[in-house]
Amino acid sequence: MKLSLTRTSLSSILAPLLCNSHPSHRPISSLSVSHRPTSLTPETTPLFLRPPTSSASLSDLLKFRNWAETLSSSAGASFSAQDNGPDTHLLLRELTWLLEDALENPKTLAYCNPSAVSNDLLVSLRTDLEELYTLWKQRIDERRPFQYIVGCEHWRDLVLGVREGVLIPRPETEQVVELVSDAIKGNDELGDGLWADLGTGSGAIAIGIARILRDRGMVIATDLSPVAVEVASFNVQRYNLQDKVVIRQGSWFGPLKEAEGDLVGIVSNPPYIPTEHINGLQAEVKHEPRLALDGGTDGIGDLLYLCNGAVSMLKPGGFFAFETNGEKQCKFLLDYMETKVKGSFNDINIVSDFAGIQRFVTGFRTR
Amino acid sequence: MSSYILKKSCTRSSLILSQNAALKFPLIAHLFSSLSQSQDANSTSAYNFLEKNTAGFPLFSHVRSKIPSGSRWKFVPSEFVRLFSSQAAVEPSTSDGLTVEGIINKQWPILGESESDWKSHASSIAQSVHLIKKRLQWKKLKVRLGILSAQLEKPDLWDDPVHAGKISREHGSLLGKMKEVNSIEQELLEHIDMIKLAREENDQELESESIKALLTMRKGVKEKELEALLAGEHDSSSCFIEVQAGAGGTESMDWAAMVIKMYEVWAQQRGYKVTVVDEMPGEMAGIKRATIKVDGQYAFGYAKAEVGVHRLVRISPFDSGKRRHTSFAAVAVIPILGDGSSRVQINESDLRIERMRAGGAGGQHVNTTESAVRITHIPTGISASCQNERSQHQNMASAMSVLQSRLDQLEMARQAQMNSRHTQSLTDISWGNQIRTFVLHPYRMVKDLRTNYEVSDPDSVLEGDLDGFILSFLSAHWIKRKTSCNLS
Ligand SMILES: C[S@@+](CC[C@H](N)C(=O)[O-])C[C@H]1O[C@@H](n2cnc3c(N)ncnc32)[C@H](O)[C@@H]1O
Repeated sequence: MKLSLTRTSLSSILAPLLCNSHPSHRPISSLSVSHRPTSLTPETTPLFLRPPTSSASLSDLLKFRNWAETLSSSAGASFSAQDNGPDTHLLLRELTWLLEDALENPKTLAYCNPSAVSNDLLVSLRTDLEELYTLWKQRIDERRPFQYIVGCEHWRDLVLGVREGVLIPRPETEQVVELVSDAIKGNDELGDGLWADLGTGSGAIAIGIARILRDRGMVIATDLSPVAVEVASFNVQRYNLQDKVVIRQGSWFGPLKEAEGDLVGIVSNPPYIPTEHINGLQAEVKHEPRLALDGGTDGIGDLLYLCNGAVSMLKPGGFFAFETNGEKQCKFLLDYMETKVKGSFNDINIVSDFAGIQRFVTGFRTR
Repeated sequence: MSSYILKKSCTRSSLILSQNAALKFPLIAHLFSSLSQSQDANSTSAYNFLEKNTAGFPLFSHVRSKIPSGSRWKFVPSEFVRLFSSQAAVEPSTSDGLTVEGIINKQWPILGESESDWKSHASSIAQSVHLIKKRLQWKKLKVRLGILSAQLEKPDLWDDPVHAGKISREHGSLLGKMKEVNSIEQELLEHIDMIKLAREENDQELESESIKALLTMRKGVKEKELEALLAGEHDSSSCFIEVQAGAGGTESMDWAAMVIKMYEVWAQQRGYKVTVVDEMPGEMAGIKRATIKVDGQYAFGYAKAEVGVHRLVRISPFDSGKRRHTSFAAVAVIPILGDGSSRVQINESDLRIERMRAGGAGGQHVNTTESAVRITHIPTGISASCQNERSQHQNMASAMSVLQSRLDQLEMARQAQMNSRHTQSLTDISWGNQIRTFVLHPYRMVKDLRTNYEVSDPDSVLEGDLDGFILSFLSAHWIKRKTSCNLS
């Protein structure tokens, strides 16, 4: 019976969230996007999803590949020396992926024998050859991130659409979903309840969680950036999760006032880079939105705000996981929770990422 | 299988048992121990961490041979068995009394498939049937089937359901094989009847149609003949193929790249799904090593014929002096066991997981598409890496499946070694040996050193035309295996 109770309370919370029937309860900044159809222009549709409307001869395509390989070979070494940017191997691998996404039938290139190619064999492309030249020039000359070039990022088992204006999800962040998955194991209350992903960006974490919740709980995701909201909605729809993930525009907890005290979980990867470090970032990262990266003076402002908010937003027994800038922020946050909001949280833990850097703080709202 | 293999796997296993993790299992490296050059110490490659210890490839040997599993029958009613065996007792023939054995005795010449000669097709099919029967040990199979049928008829059989289930499954499997062969014979004879009829009636359309049908049959049966060779326990599995460059710098790395490409194309042409799992490019050209996954029925059964060292002789395009070079590439093939098989349990706490990241702060500070993963199984030192998938999660899953297969293979080798003392006297190929030579200069040929199978067109082989080599090896290997069975 516990289950049906959970269900009832969940739907009563979600009803207003889903139907926007109480607009007066929501802060002004909160806009509804759920019934604005997400229409993407061809340029913002991930390359691999575009229709193969162009074509080029195989020999021209091979010429492009040779040109791009040469360009990458000379650039790679300097990028990695400059700011730990991509080396030649990586650039060449990206080039393979670009062609993989651009060709309707990627095998054509993989198994052709360059010396025995008939010049006029036509290959179907999802963008024209000229555009491929432009894109690769941008990759090398402007250090435009590869993920913006192809319009997608492979993250966990997902392929997420991304574009300028939204953060490219990081591999470290894959672990947030793992942490949630571990927390849910054997805990029906968490598995059946309402989760929040704050500052969802491309929707990565929200979608990851929705897929491990399967047909049980739900996720509500917020972001202040309208581009993020649009991209996240696109990704949610592509994975057919529009009934499980609600996207709201607004600041942090703003759009989910109705859910106060009812969330079973809060996750966030808020901007955490201290302002003074922004200028020294890797060239590719400078293409990403500042709103997604700049965490203010110490970089910890948003994390503290989320931590305070979690006290009232989480149900007793609810779980939280925050990504941080590293050891310093982790320790600060842990200390803050143990002293400043003493008694609100228990089982507070610092979890390291795969590179051994203390990256996440997790814990539970005290019952 | 081979005493050499078994002896080697035996030493290897005892290494594991002594938990000597420091020795790891650099089997491929071991292969090259006599040829290898030292690792380029000041290599600036970003893959350094991947190079520290070359993944080990424990050997795999088949000791037991098993009849390939055909259609499975849960329970066969005994009436049917009687009915069927009485049918089988009458040897099928054409209207004028020609039997399959009769066709073989006539020794009609077997011409190429493109020759539209029904006698040639019929002769080829009859030969294939003959070979398939030999491989199935036809006479023994019939005797065994008789024994099983008798057991199935016993009224108290099902008092022991486990035993009964075993009997009825084996019976079903053997019966399925027998039926399959008999129906091929039947069909062959029917087509011949048709052709004769068409000739009598002067019906050219019918004749050419029947000849076409015979050709289709010929191809299908040839394939079956090959499959009958693939009777090893894991032959029907998918597999990983791994190629590692030997000594000789860029020239041999280029050779390794040619070899892996050859397998990619071969597998592609056979209709298998091919994925590159792991690839470590050379500094200038080619690869240091690469692993591909070949998905599909019998991938392992075929590919295992390729295990060993492949040698190339040519004028190196990387040598400005235009000298002749000899280089080596080692090939390992690892079966991917289905979930049904007993797989080695991996303890998460036994794993060390390394992921490639540009150093520094990580997280939001870094944009990278690098997501290589390397997993090491600490107790055995065996490791696997993957960097070709586009997300870390996927690389991890891929590397994990390679690691699982390597550990499974190690376990199989260990078990094989445990219950195979009697095979010690047998001789066979060793996977560490050189198995094939490609010569591009001063003359052109590819020769298999085990079977002496030889072709004079290296390009076609490098473009994936490997079936001749594989088939001849499997046949030779099969005959050897059979002889050794009789010896033991
Ligand atoms: C580091 S990104 C994380 C994006 C995504 N969750 C991920 O992990 O890939 C931080 C996100 O927080 C959003 N953000 C910044 N300030 C915000 C605020 N006041 N309220 C809601 N979201 C905000 C940014 O737009 C950005 O999408």
